[in-house]
Amino acid sequence: MVRPQPWTRFAPWAALPRSVPSLLADLPILLAGLALFYGLLALARYWAAPVSTHAEIRLTAAVLPKYALFSVARLTVAYFISLSITLVYAYSAAHSKRAERVLIPLLDTLQSIPVLSFLPPVMVAMVTLFPTRQLGVELGSIVLIVTGQVWNMAFSVYSSFKNIPRELQEAADIYRLSWWQKFLQLELPYSAIGLVWNSMMSMAGGWFFLMACEMFVLGNRDLRLPGLGSYLQTAANAGDTRAIVEGVAVMIGVIVLMDQLIWRPIIAWSEKFKFEQVEAASAPRSPMLDLLRRSRLLARVGALTVTPAREALTLHFARQRAEPTAEPSKIRTGLGWLAAIAVIAAVLYATFRMAVMLTALSAPDVRGIGMGAATTFLRVEFTLALAALWTVPVGVFIGLRPRVSAIAQPIAQVAASVPATALFPIVLLMLIQVGGGLGVGSIVLLLLGTQWYILFNVIAGATAIPTDLREVCDVFHLHGAQRWRRLLLPAIFPYLITGLVTASGGAWNASIVAEYFKFRGKTFSTVGLGAVISRATDNGNFPVLLGATIVMAALVVVVNRLVWRRLYVLASTRFVLDS
Amino acid sequence: MTAAADRLRALVVQNHWEQALALLRRMDVEAAAELIMKLPFEEQKRLYCALPIDFAAQLAGEFPYYHAYVLLHARPAQEITAIVDAMPPDERVRFFEELPEEAWQRLMDELEGKQAAGAPEMPRAIAEAPLPDPPIIEARKIEKVFERPGGGNIQVIAPTDLSVTPGSIIALLGPSGSGKSTLLRMLTGLSTPSSGEVLWHGKTFAEEKPNVAIVFQSFALFPWLTVLENVEVPLLARGVEHDERHARALKTLGSVGLEGFESAYPKDLSGGMKQRVGFARALAVEPEILFMDEPFSALDVLTAENLRGELIDLWLGKKIPTRSIFLVTHNIEEAVLLADRILVLGRNPGRIRADFHVPLARPRDRNGAEFLMYVDYIYKLLTQPDLEAAPLVAKSAYQMLPHARPGGIAGLLEILNDRGGKEDLYRIADELRLDVDDLLPIVEATTLLGFATTHRGDVELTPVGKTFSEADVATQKDLFREAALVHATLLKQINNALASKSDHAMPLEFFRDILEEHFPGQEVERQMDTALTWGRYGEIFTYDSETDRLRAPQPVTQAEAG
Repeated sequence: MVRPQPWTRFAPWAALPRSVPSLLADLPILLAGLALFYGLLALARYWAAPVSTHAEIRLTAAVLPKYALFSVARLTVAYFISLSITLVYAYSAAHSKRAERVLIPLLDTLQSIPVLSFLPPVMVAMVTLFPTRQLGVELGSIVLIVTGQVWNMAFSVYSSFKNIPRELQEAADIYRLSWWQKFLQLELPYSAIGLVWNSMMSMAGGWFFLMACEMFVLGNRDLRLPGLGSYLQTAANAGDTRAIVEGVAVMIGVIVLMDQLIWRPIIAWSEKFKFEQVEAASAPRSPMLDLLRRSRLLARVGALTVTPAREALTLHFARQRAEPTAEPSKIRTGLGWLAAIAVIAAVLYATFRMAVMLTALSAPDVRGIGMGAATTFLRVEFTLALAALWTVPVGVFIGLRPRVSAIAQPIAQVAASVPATALFPIVLLMLIQVGGGLGVGSIVLLLLGTQWYILFNVIAGATAIPTDLREVCDVFHLHGAQRWRRLLLPAIFPYLITGLVTASGGAWNASIVAEYFKFRGKTFSTVGLGAVISRATDNGNFPVLLGATIVMAALVVVVNRLVWRRLYVLASTRFVLDS
Repeated sequence: MTAAADRLRALVVQNHWEQALALLRRMDVEAAAELIMKLPFEEQKRLYCALPIDFAAQLAGEFPYYHAYVLLHARPAQEITAIVDAMPPDERVRFFEELPEEAWQRLMDELEGKQAAGAPEMPRAIAEAPLPDPPIIEARKIEKVFERPGGGNIQVIAPTDLSVTPGSIIALLGPSGSGKSTLLRMLTGLSTPSSGEVLWHGKTFAEEKPNVAIVFQSFALFPWLTVLENVEVPLLARGVEHDERHARALKTLGSVGLEGFESAYPKDLSGGMKQRVGFARALAVEPEILFMDEPFSALDVLTAENLRGELIDLWLGKKIPTRSIFLVTHNIEEAVLLADRILVLGRNPGRIRADFHVPLARPRDRNGAEFLMYVDYIYKLLTQPDLEAAPLVAKSAYQMLPHARPGGIAGLLEILNDRGGKEDLYRIADELRLDVDDLLPIVEATTLLGFATTHRGDVELTPVGKTFSEADVATQKDLFREAALVHATLLKQINNALASKSDHAMPLEFFRDILEEHFPGQEVERQMDTALTWGRYGEIFTYDSETDRLRAPQPVTQAEAG
């Protein structure tokens, strides 16, 4: 650890590296810092500007960098908000039995509500909060992205917190760690790996719904925010093939760049939080991380800022803990009760209002929702079956051949990182040329969005098949169907289920953008619950939106509990390979 | 012969010890022993006291057992130890094996401290402390009860009194499921007793947080922190500033032999090194009592032995600041090797069955006679039927199946048969390198099934056991089934239930419910597992995990049986 000499605390410049080569090595980092600062400045100026709901989205290549910056900024801000919510939510749920009983079922429900259903309430709230500034609409868009990102992160961190080994917890207790030190040195590190992977998934989800989140109709107001999503949407509306291709290219570029510059280093860095007692054979590496680690500038800046701050905070909480804690005063308990009563009252009132609103549903509305639910249910399951049909053989083929998977894995990863929504316009263009409607199109779109989860899991499962089991099959001449039935399918079963669960959730959510699409000034749609929700959002038909959302959430929760959870248990008991 | 005896007696009466010795040395040892026994008893004792150690040791093996025992105890304690150590090894083993019942009883009383001051007969290497220090911890009637999900309670620890005094290493020894760890966690304040209270220096945990540290079985290090940072964790929690923290952590690391490893991560270290970090982290806070929860059981034999030695060196050299060490273990030898005082826990519910001091001099020799005596004594304690607790348990006790596999039972029986049908438990454990936790359930299972009996730490084959050990696999299964259906309540119940049903099948859930009345959740699963293994092996039933149903194997068996 770099520890500054006493006098350098008062003269930070003295901590900077003196030699020219090390200065050169730090040059990229310096430049990146300056660029970041400029970006923030530009954003601040834009956000403070008066609201312009009808911002012109221009379709020239020259505006793409600016749009990309706006979109990335939105996603980043949304991510950090999600991260804060995640930590507070997971911490409360894991540390209070009472909170846990409310928060966890709530989380389960919230994550089954499709993003678009959040749109009207979020937007109305934000625009009311900041009626005159661009900030209001922007915040609305950001909160919308948050509603798509936060749930799986919160779930991951919560379950990590709950799974901390007992003896580690006891060590923290017996050595009297303050809540802060325990959080910093035990709970956060223990949940880091799960958090990183779920953060990546959440970011991917953000890109997926970017088009819906940057451009939408709210009643009679047509809101559009400058960004890559609205660019693509506008290009699709205009049927401008060149602009679509350019937009998709830029988006893929940005995603790949972020993957290399941000996620890879973070994954490589988070290796140290792996809770295993032995060194893994091959750990993920990142040249970017090596660069950052070699930078003396960063080390010194860290030693001057982060380290003392952490030290001071930890010591502060340690001393606070050492003091005898006062009994919670009666006023505080009273306030707690008041707050609880207020929350319960609010929930009851909201339930009542929802019930009232639902009475406004007409019979055709209800029929539409029912039909849509049935159709989308069949569509989602059909898509999953279709996806499994091609990914299982291909995934097993790749997984069993290390050399093939060394080539195929990175390609598939890039392919998967492209948000399927960005490809919708291109796919639709082709479909229209061959003459298919959105009925077939929506399945293709769902497939594009969900197949990767299954493919990756099947590859991982096939890779994990022990060689001796394969050799047993060779010895007993098990080939073809026999081999699949006796070895391959049972062996990949747990992985396949994991993939299908993720894909199923993704497919339900994606149905909203796949069943209802604006293209070349026309609206393509097909029968489905997603289409019902999208249309209701567009028309500002709140009763239908509410009803359809409740049905979808209920369907997703029920299917999860009845089908996937059981298969999951089966997978983790009967089909687990632990020899 | 009488003439020789008279001459010897004359020499003894006149205190002519050299001449008496010379007389005895001229004869062979057996004759010398016989001659001595012709003297009046008081003179025998005086003579024996005057003999040099090596000769006394040679003679000891020639006396009938109890005679030798009494003569030995005429001499001062350290000399007895020396004589026993000087005996030829096989003689010594025989000596302890032949220990008659009264001698055993005396020994037991001595070990349990029943015979208070003025008991000159047993070795006392360490003088009694003049005045006992006031205890650091006093636990009064602490009890732990877990609630069953379906309502009702299960007592895990029966109300227990316990005090920890300064200046000693205390070992808490017991089979698995006896609540050792629960007791440790109640003493440290990690877990609150269901009733009763734990006082540190007369204060409850609410009044004052004691300065304790625990060394964990799984090390419980934070893998993302370096060795140094791990040791700094508790210091940081106490608000120690950076520079002092650093210095103290480094010093502690030095004392456990970890210089140069400050910046390593735990995953780079071997198990033994990791546990050293665990020790350093515990010692860094200078705890008043150092608690250890099976600290050596995750390590290999050699590493564990090495660490034990270093711990003792640190303790004896007063290089660690703790006033007492409290060690939880299931390793009997480890307890006798390290502890000044041993608490033996019984189970179902957990309670202290024995509490005695180990006044052996250090360093202790694993093969020393007295060492083995203590090991043997503890085996006897653990295998003898639990008399004093019987009335407590009797009213609700449901027979608890020992967690042994049929293969283990058959293996033990075959070993016993190879050794003539009888063997010392500690010797089996020692030779097979088995912990008590591994061996005791197997022994319990063999006695429960009537294949063997235990007596004073020995295990002996019964005729059925002998037949079993020599039979072929199919016969073994038959014998096992017969024994299980007679002796194992749960299997008897299952068999009856299956026989009474027309389809000869029952859901396993039904029996799980029965067990839940009597055992805590984890134990229920283990009871089920054991019953399944035994029932499947004995072909009492088959079990289908898909449907979770038990089924009688086939009606043919019944026809045969009938």
